[in-house]
Amino acid sequence: MAYEPPVTDYDKIVENCTCAFCGSNCDDVDILVKDNHVVGVRHACRLGASKIMEDEDQRLTVPMIRDENGELVEVDWDTALDKAAELIAGAVRPVFYGWSETSIEAMKPGLELTELVGAVIDNQATICHGPTVQAVQNVGYPLMTLGEVKNRADMVVYTGSNPMNAHPRHLARYTTFPKGFFRKRGRFDRTLVTWDPKYSDTAKLSDIWVPFEENGDYAFCNAIRAVLKGKELKQDVISGIPKEDIVALTEKMKNTQFGALFFGLGLTHTLSKQRNIDIAIQLVQDLNKYTKWVLLPMRGHFNVNGFNIFMSYEMGFPYGVDFSRGYPRYMIGETTTIDLLNRKECDVFMVIAADPGAHFPGGALAHLADIPVIQIDIHWGPSTELADVVLPGTFIGVETAGTSYRMDSVPIFMKKAIDPPETCREDEWIVNELLKRVTKLKEASK
Amino acid sequence: MTYIEKPSISNVVKFEDPDVAQVKKLTVMLNTGTDIYQGACKKRGSTLKDEYRKVAGVCYMDPKDMARLGVGNWDSVLVKSDWGEVVCYAAHSRDAPHEGMIFIPKGPWANVVVSPETYCCSDPTYKGIHATVEKTDKEVLLMADLMRYVYKKYVKEGDKTEELPSLGEMPIYKRKVRSQ
Amino acid sequence: MEYILKNGIVYDPINEINGEKKDVMFKDGKIVNSVSDDAKVIDVTDKLVMPAGIDVHCHLAGPKLCVGRLYRPEDERRGVKPKTDITRPETGFSIPNCPATGYRFSKMGYGTVVEAAVPPLEAKHTHEEIIAIPNIDIPPLTLFGNNWFILQFAKEGRIEDIAAFVSAWLKITKGYGVKIVNPCGSEAWGWGMNVHGIDDPAPYWDVTAREVIRALAQANEMLGLPHSIHIHPNDLGHPGNFPTTVNTIDCMKDIKKNSEYRNQTIHLTHAQFHCYDGTSWRDVTSGVEPVADYINKHDHVTMDMGQVTLDETTTMTADGPMEYDLYELTGLKWANKDIELETASGLVPFIYSGRNPVHSLQWAIGLELALMIEDPWKVCLTTDSPNAGPFIRYPRVMSWLMSYQRRAEMMDNKEVHAWAGRKSALGTLDREYDFYDIATITRAGPSKIYGFEDRGHLGAGAIADIAVYDLEPNNFDPTRNAAEVEKAFSNALYTIKDGQILVKDGEIVKVVSSKHVRTEVEGFEDEEKRILEEIMPFFNRYYTVKFENYVVHDHYAEPSSVYKVNASK
Repeated sequence: MAYEPPVTDYDKIVENCTCAFCGSNCDDVDILVKDNHVVGVRHACRLGASKIMEDEDQRLTVPMIRDENGELVEVDWDTALDKAAELIAGAVRPVFYGWSETSIEAMKPGLELTELVGAVIDNQATICHGPTVQAVQNVGYPLMTLGEVKNRADMVVYTGSNPMNAHPRHLARYTTFPKGFFRKRGRFDRTLVTWDPKYSDTAKLSDIWVPFEENGDYAFCNAIRAVLKGKELKQDVISGIPKEDIVALTEKMKNTQFGALFFGLGLTHTLSKQRNIDIAIQLVQDLNKYTKWVLLPMRGHFNVNGFNIFMSYEMGFPYGVDFSRGYPRYMIGETTTIDLLNRKECDVFMVIAADPGAHFPGGALAHLADIPVIQIDIHWGPSTELADVVLPGTFIGVETAGTSYRMDSVPIFMKKAIDPPETCREDEWIVNELLKRVTKLKEASK
Repeated sequence: MTYIEKPSISNVVKFEDPDVAQVKKLTVMLNTGTDIYQGACKKRGSTLKDEYRKVAGVCYMDPKDMARLGVGNWDSVLVKSDWGEVVCYAAHSRDAPHEGMIFIPKGPWANVVVSPETYCCSDPTYKGIHATVEKTDKEVLLMADLMRYVYKKYVKEGDKTEELPSLGEMPIYKRKVRSQ
Repeated sequence: MEYILKNGIVYDPINEINGEKKDVMFKDGKIVNSVSDDAKVIDVTDKLVMPAGIDVHCHLAGPKLCVGRLYRPEDERRGVKPKTDITRPETGFSIPNCPATGYRFSKMGYGTVVEAAVPPLEAKHTHEEIIAIPNIDIPPLTLFGNNWFILQFAKEGRIEDIAAFVSAWLKITKGYGVKIVNPCGSEAWGWGMNVHGIDDPAPYWDVTAREVIRALAQANEMLGLPHSIHIHPNDLGHPGNFPTTVNTIDCMKDIKKNSEYRNQTIHLTHAQFHCYDGTSWRDVTSGVEPVADYINKHDHVTMDMGQVTLDETTTMTADGPMEYDLYELTGLKWANKDIELETASGLVPFIYSGRNPVHSLQWAIGLELALMIEDPWKVCLTTDSPNAGPFIRYPRVMSWLMSYQRRAEMMDNKEVHAWAGRKSALGTLDREYDFYDIATITRAGPSKIYGFEDRGHLGAGAIADIAVYDLEPNNFDPTRNAAEVEKAFSNALYTIKDGQILVKDGEIVKVVSSKHVRTEVEGFEDEEKRILEEIMPFFNRYYTVKFENYVVHDHYAEPSSVYKVNASK
């Protein structure tokens, strides 16, 4: 990469901003501002910096509605909001999907709207760590805050995740490199282990790389559990890993002082789905008979965990909650977005702070081509290509303040650094407006 | 421990590799997921641009597999699965060796070939998909063109998507005329 | 707006009103001595009237609860209710969703409920849930017992610095008082260990529970906080733990209190879990007698029951190692949540059953405590909700306390296992609580213990938090009608909060925002500033959030009710 001189031309630095990208929620980001524009970012990783230094070409700046030719046309806010409210009020089976890249403050009116019209509310967990939540419901959830790992851990294991690509500062800020209170030499005091079929960028940094076979995660964890329980392994090679290596690794894991296991979508997206997580959690629970072990799912969006927490305290269920009967119903595979789309049940789809166009399988997206889609987002993305009403929001953590929950459930208040573009509106305002307008329509039709 | 030894990676695709027999079609396992280039480009918002196609419309392959197919970096390949088919760029993987496995970063291209089946678990199957890869002359589509080609939401009846002009790399919408 | 609550039978122990027929008047949310002729009359002739209930110890808002809800949909599916024109949907039995929590407390005639454990790092989460819970005021207690700064200062004997730290951290977390959970033990859990007894030092820090408890108590009294230290001692739930409990209280006896309103310097919480004799679950027996005896002879201590209600519930506590023990015992799904530099915590579902000998003994021990401690002002009714049972069972616990006949019946007809009678003295205790005693353990006592001068009584100037129940004390024998006692206390005739009628005939008729009740110390600002400056380098190095983002901002704590404390007095 070419050398770029440091940015010196700025009016002010806004310190300790929280990065609104991944679940690491780094809250030490300094944003350099000139004339109410972000001109530089300090401390953020490549991902965070790229998001904060956004592509202004593709910023959604005005509300839009599709005309009869299928072209998006700029309209004023009232027209766009009325159109969206009309679609929602007239829907039989609306789904409100997304929420993971907005603030808790915006979710509150969103849930009210959901309760009002009897919609399904769901977030990105449904396509990422949904199986993790199910596994947690099966077997338990021994976790910690990331500072515990920073201060105490002498062994860190990543499996089914590649933080160097997806959470680039995770190792540097929380788990591997930082100098902790009981780990004064940082990286040198810790053993970094990666279990991954691929020689990933994280594996390249690790002390130990365990390249088990594709779909071999369950058998591998099971083998470690067996060794822990004093059983003899009957096969010489399990999931592509020689028996002696499994025994040696188990010994190492038993003899740490504090171990932490981090897992990602590599476990949730393969065929065994939540069963992979079940066994990983049980492995950690077993290890606690010998020494201290904890685990944490590597959550993707900066507030994906926040939505699950928000829904749990408001309505008792974490995601995929259906209010069509007037009370909350949570049935995985029944009230979850992909299943609703696969079954072609949904008749109006509102997406806020998410991009299903980029992340849903084509088979599910095909149904979005048949029904009206309302999009609330900050950038023109694949979902805009399927959207009938587009409402431009503002950028949480840069243009609008709000609350988010880090992957380890630590709540963080994300402050703002600049003012939003004049023609955009805060998500909270947009959803509140929809709520008002839908309430009015519902009352009128009573 | 034996597995501490790390592999050495070949950085070049050796077409004349004597261990490699040429094939027309490769049967592989498809994985998808995030990678840092895709992530950075997507969240910056540059999804209409050529740049996004170059980071998400890519099929990362083991160099040996590429030699088998006779494709070099940035050649087009057609990836087919039970769920659909999509044209991507071939590129050699940073994470090689992983013969018989291909990786397409998550995004509109990968979506076409992954399985929507959740097995009643809410989560579609994004990894471990059986697929085939073959060489093709077709162009990799830009994001907007791909969305139009695959989902045809706003394509008029009778129009052939292939023949429509490209939607390009910038947002297209009718702006309000503003008086100065 | 003026109201007159007419002709009720009033129980108001703080004002020594014991079942008198009288009117209660209130205006603009406060109790007054007289109202004008325009006052609206609410006729409650011969009905039972009390101040609204105060729960001294309940887990109802915060990160632990949320883990519970997230990982126990099977509990959430119990107690589902659709929305109405006034209320939002309800879910959950032992860990209800926030709206249900508020409605259910309100229906029982409660007005104030203390959230018992708030880890400072996640205090924002607790306050977010308080915002989501309607109809009750919530004072959160901030966890201090395993905080690294406290451990270090306690070891060095720096009492004034601890006072400054506590004062600063109560403001930072918008908390009400000092909570201590398994001091040194939860820190040891950071390494998968625990401590036993009050003289077993924490690993590395080399400081004992005795030192930590005493230091925090001295700091608490130096500041003159409205509540005393609130302690969950070491060795919770271990057979043979009663000496630890007695030692914990006893190590405090020379510490002078600095409060005119409350009497105690230490509040022992969920005492039931801390009164076991024996050496294992095979030979366990009740250890109530020595603890009750100590409490009867000393006035510096108060306690709450932690009564087992024999339900399927969810245990949750900042006592991380205890939850792991419980997981090993039951094999049910174990959740854990360690908080950097501050505390640990854990959760395990639990199925209490009257057929189980140990659970039955636990049931007996809770009641034994309440019946053997002579002065009801030292006793509070709790179930350590949801640990020993969900809070909706308080009325049932009242019915047990009020009826010897009912208790005997349960032991005779095998609703509880024979261990309840054989291994405790419950069968020999024929004491029965009357309405005045019930008002004391659920209203007046808690008011005194927490220094809530403005609530828990019906004197002029108090906030108009009032409960009316559909019982006529003069025509009703609670010792013979346990089921009716439970029904009446479960469904208040009226619940009035800040002068507004929230419940009528056992149904929610109005929903209001809950207040965040918190303490602010004045006159200690210089000390706070000095200690913050001293610890900031350490904070920045070892926490994973910036101090600026750690503080609970004002907008998380609206509306608030602030108890100002003048530290210089």
